[in-house]
Amino acid sequence: MSARKRTLLKVIILGDSGVGKTSLMNQYVNKKFTAQYKATIGADFLTKEVQVDDRLVTMQIWDTAGQERFQSLGVAFYRGADCCVLVYDVNVMRSFDNLENWREEFLIQASPHDPENFPFVVLGNKVDVDGGNSRVVSEKKAKAWCTAHGNIPYFETSAKEDYNVDAAFQCIAKNALKNETEEEIYLPDTIDVAQNRPTKSSACEC
Amino acid sequence: MRQTMASLPGDYVHFKGQIGTSQWRYYDYGPKTVTPVVCLCGIAGTADVFYKQILSLSAKGYRVIAADAPAVRSHQEWVSSFEKFLDTLGAHHVHLYGTSLGGFLAQLFAQYRVRRVKSLLLSNTFLDTRAFHEGIKWASFISWTPEFVLKRYILSGIRDGPQEPLIADSIDFVVSQLETLTRDELASRLILNTTPTAVGQLPIPDSAITIMDTNDYCAVPQVLKDQVSARYLGARRAHLKTGGDFPFLSRAGEVTLHLQLHLMRAGVEGQMPTVGKQLIVKDLNVSLGTKDNNGPLEEVPLRGRGGSLRRLADPSTGSDENPLFRSTSGQLDSSRVASLEGRRRASVSEREVERPQILPRSWSNNVESAPQDPEAFAGGFSDEEICELQSSNQRPPDSTAQIKSNNLLGTGAAGSLNEE
Repeated sequence: MSARKRTLLKVIILGDSGVGKTSLMNQYVNKKFTAQYKATIGADFLTKEVQVDDRLVTMQIWDTAGQERFQSLGVAFYRGADCCVLVYDVNVMRSFDNLENWREEFLIQASPHDPENFPFVVLGNKVDVDGGNSRVVSEKKAKAWCTAHGNIPYFETSAKEDYNVDAAFQCIAKNALKNETEEEIYLPDTIDVAQNRPTKSSACEC
Repeated sequence: MRQTMASLPGDYVHFKGQIGTSQWRYYDYGPKTVTPVVCLCGIAGTADVFYKQILSLSAKGYRVIAADAPAVRSHQEWVSSFEKFLDTLGAHHVHLYGTSLGGFLAQLFAQYRVRRVKSLLLSNTFLDTRAFHEGIKWASFISWTPEFVLKRYILSGIRDGPQEPLIADSIDFVVSQLETLTRDELASRLILNTTPTAVGQLPIPDSAITIMDTNDYCAVPQVLKDQVSARYLGARRAHLKTGGDFPFLSRAGEVTLHLQLHLMRAGVEGQMPTVGKQLIVKDLNVSLGTKDNNGPLEEVPLRGRGGSLRRLADPSTGSDENPLFRSTSGQLDSSRVASLEGRRRASVSEREVERPQILPRSWSNNVESAPQDPEAFAGGFSDEEICELQSSNQRPPDSTAQIKSNNLLGTGAAGSLNEE
């Protein structure tokens, strides 16, 4: 019954291995970037306090190993997600093609109440590489995909140059918050559970 | 409940009497060469409430101990009793997962037993018991308070009213566990919860601490939880969106995930079974050269503990004879197995540390029947089942089916994976 309930947002980052999921998260939360590639083992998360409109919320950002689909940690990992971030590498066509799979994987595992309107955000990462010359996925193509999948917000980012990262995560937080407030309410059945419990727990009935 | 128990004739009463009030009840699952995580419950729970974590983490090769303390009269007594308990199990270094009162005690232990605690996972807990001391006007009479009053008081801390099904189930489970506690145990827990004490400076870095509070509600006031967060600024925050007071039951999968991540960060790796047979022997002989694990054992100075460990070694080889360890036919689903086992908890008398009668348990092949996914059996305890469990617990322990602990060191689910 605390006066103001704290808000916790759970955000999940998905995408092929090596597209820069961990780097984006690290850049956003710790303002750090390392060029060294280290495969994420299992999953990890970071938390960050964010100001969305006039509310202070805690964002719990989950980073996954892109190698394996996350079967080993199971549904617990996806459970209660408020927003899903799909990341691809603008220089690798395959990582873009796989967005569809990642999206479906998420919807199956997390099974949100309203899959049609569940907030996704797509990030095209590594736009800095080679001054954009090695780019194979055009912005137009990416945007078309996003529009076709229910107007998913799209950002082009570079974790290395810290380009657009904050803006992207601000949008993620905003969409997550919208989702969170919608899903919060639990309506119990009309059976009064409370009536059973005190009788059962009273010391005389055993 | 207690009356029904007392009215039972013969061996069960004897069995129960053996355990008495000065002994720890615990589960110890998973490979003994891995630094264990010890789960400590809050005021209303027992070691059983962690059965979901025990099942799923031990299946991943982690050693999980869930313990619940005998009746003690002070924090100092608890700390030294817990130390003896860990010595008996041969667990020199531990990771502690404590919820509510358990989290408070875990911090005290980390403070007073420097170097034994490698990391802390604190859930819905507090730094200081003064608030609870002020909240209870009859603190000095706790030792003389009748059982039903103590129970009622503890129950009043559990949130009433309609809940979502998983949380409602978790409350039912914990309430049923509360019924198994004696008056002395209840009094002891209240004394621990209300004797004014504060956690001092901890010798472990913030980076070895994870705070896992539930964000919806819990019995511990938010102000007190905030103090914990403020004290350990560098700690990792692994908050759960919902889960109530008993997320280890209501959000078992998520808690297990956070526990696993916490252990991974603390450098503990699950050890999948390889050559199960030798492991226990190596462990108990405490040959410093054991290379099976990442070496927590190697760095342990033996400092007079070798004695008790070696003593542990003899009976352990004969642990097949342990009548308390009952193999359940594969028919039971694992949640029941865990609860059934709960009534036959092994125990160690702290007075008899030198000569434990009952040995640390190893994980059994039972796990093979365990669902891979902890969520799969969430909510597996309906009221009926609990009643059933309670009635079955009054049967004397079945000593016919025994498990040879030497074969079991590996862990179940892994075993089933590797099984050809």
